[in-house]
Amino acid sequence: MLSGIDYFVVIAYLAGIMVLGLYFAKFVRSADDFFLSGKTLPFWAVGMSIVATDISAMDFVGVSGQSYRFGMAVGNFDWLGSVPAMLLAAFIFIPYFWKAGLYTIPEYLGRRYNDYVRAVASLTWIIFFALDLGVLFWATAVMFEPLMGWPPWFSITATALVVGLYTFFGGLTAVVMTDVVQMIIMFVGGATVVVVGLYHAGGWGGLADKIAAMGEAYQNHFKVILPADTQTPFPWTGILFGLTLVMSNAYMIGNQAIVQRCLATKSVWHAKASMLCGAFFKMFIPMLVMFPGLIAVAAYPGMEDGDQAFPTLVKSLLPPGLRGLLFAGFLAGLMSTIDSILNSTATLWTKDVYERFLKKDASDRHYRIVGQLTTVVLLIFGVLTSPLSKSFPGIYVAIQTFLSFFQGPVFSILLLGMFWPRATQWGGLMGLVGGICTSVSLYIFKGRLFTIEEPFLYISWWSFVAGVLLNVGTSLVTRRHPEARLSGLVCRLPRDLKGSCEVPAC
Amino acid sequence: MLNFDWLKDVSPTAAKEVFLTLFVLCGLLVVAIPRQYIYEGIASPRWWHNLKVWALGVLAIISTIYCIF
Repeated sequence: MLSGIDYFVVIAYLAGIMVLGLYFAKFVRSADDFFLSGKTLPFWAVGMSIVATDISAMDFVGVSGQSYRFGMAVGNFDWLGSVPAMLLAAFIFIPYFWKAGLYTIPEYLGRRYNDYVRAVASLTWIIFFALDLGVLFWATAVMFEPLMGWPPWFSITATALVVGLYTFFGGLTAVVMTDVVQMIIMFVGGATVVVVGLYHAGGWGGLADKIAAMGEAYQNHFKVILPADTQTPFPWTGILFGLTLVMSNAYMIGNQAIVQRCLATKSVWHAKASMLCGAFFKMFIPMLVMFPGLIAVAAYPGMEDGDQAFPTLVKSLLPPGLRGLLFAGFLAGLMSTIDSILNSTATLWTKDVYERFLKKDASDRHYRIVGQLTTVVLLIFGVLTSPLSKSFPGIYVAIQTFLSFFQGPVFSILLLGMFWPRATQWGGLMGLVGGICTSVSLYIFKGRLFTIEEPFLYISWWSFVAGVLLNVGTSLVTRRHPEARLSGLVCRLPRDLKGSCEVPAC
Repeated sequence: MLNFDWLKDVSPTAAKEVFLTLFVLCGLLVVAIPRQYIYEGIASPRWWHNLKVWALGVLAIISTIYCIF
């Protein structure tokens, strides 16, 4: 249980975040303000918000657990899994989307291919985000119960109220600005565990010596690159083909929650800079979430469940006050993810479904209200579905697996849509749907097809390849789009076409 | 083939060189970006607006991490 001073830190954090978020409500006057902050955000806020959105409290526990079992190779997800993709996004895709005045990524897919592709992509994200909300709310309850003694319904309602209020009134601006504070709290809380843990382990040298002395089983714990035939989920071939070339690009370029805030920056320079700023901060994430696992290897070897590494470390090392700070960091991780999901899903629903298919040409105020009401409906849905996580413990993994089915195919149609004018609407649809079917088939037969236990990196690579092949094959036998229709949507088109691509690299 | 068995004889050291080459390639592409594209959207550019420097800084840090580990 937390002590009095810890309670004070946590409650002060919750109150402070709510007040800060509500302050930004005065800037929301139109739908553009609600969904894209009126295109006024600076690069540093967006860069920090990207990192806060990306990292949740589950990363602290899950990644520490994996580094406890497999070592530093898990850091690839924040290093190789971010930096090259964020450079590609910063210099090619984001400025292109920003100049096109987009609200959502499916909106680009709809303009480039057709409404079916837009609907499939948008509904996929909406379903994923909506289900994820329930899991995140339950994770909050699980954190509160043992430490604060609050029953699940109370913690879930309290979190929903705080996050819901500022997201409802403040829109994207409130989400991004609270994310900035939440990222700082996460970094301070995470760094506290690492610094105290390293001190107890005798510094970095002491930690390395202790783990090296533990024998053969730990020889790869300080290696980021593991052999292709490793039995861990991180062979270098999977890291290169699945993570670096497909999953990271799909995440940084195709994820609405990440890209939307870049589209809300005040100039195209700020849009590019926000991604680079995010890449800089992302490189420190492994130190916060991975090092505790390594410290626990030296301090508490032989734990059966690696996911206990982080909680055990916190319990034994941190004094009162610092525990409250770390708990606030955990909460910050959860809340920054929840608020981003709420706002991004409201944008997807309002722009890609409601405005496109249900009610065209309504007033700006009407769409803002629809966005706000969607936030409320999502919040209620998330709260009501949160107990499902208790009934189905595997639901988090199931939702993540569901998302992984789409990563490769979505990136394949984004890539070909942007760089290959010959890609047609039916090619795009075939690439997306066929790629998803490939992912599902590979997942069902993974036991027969793959030699490692969790081959999700390989599945994303091969579904990407299938998406590309199906898109190319179908496009070559279907009628191509006239160049005028593709103007502003595909690189390499003549610049004299209205709104054509201005990216020099194209 | 689905497991990339044909690459299983490549040592982790050689694999690390593949990743370092990727970082170098990214760096070369960043250097090749035209100056006006980098400063696009900035009224009066200063040296710290040069996004090439930012990108190369990030690549230098990640390359160092992969060289060491």
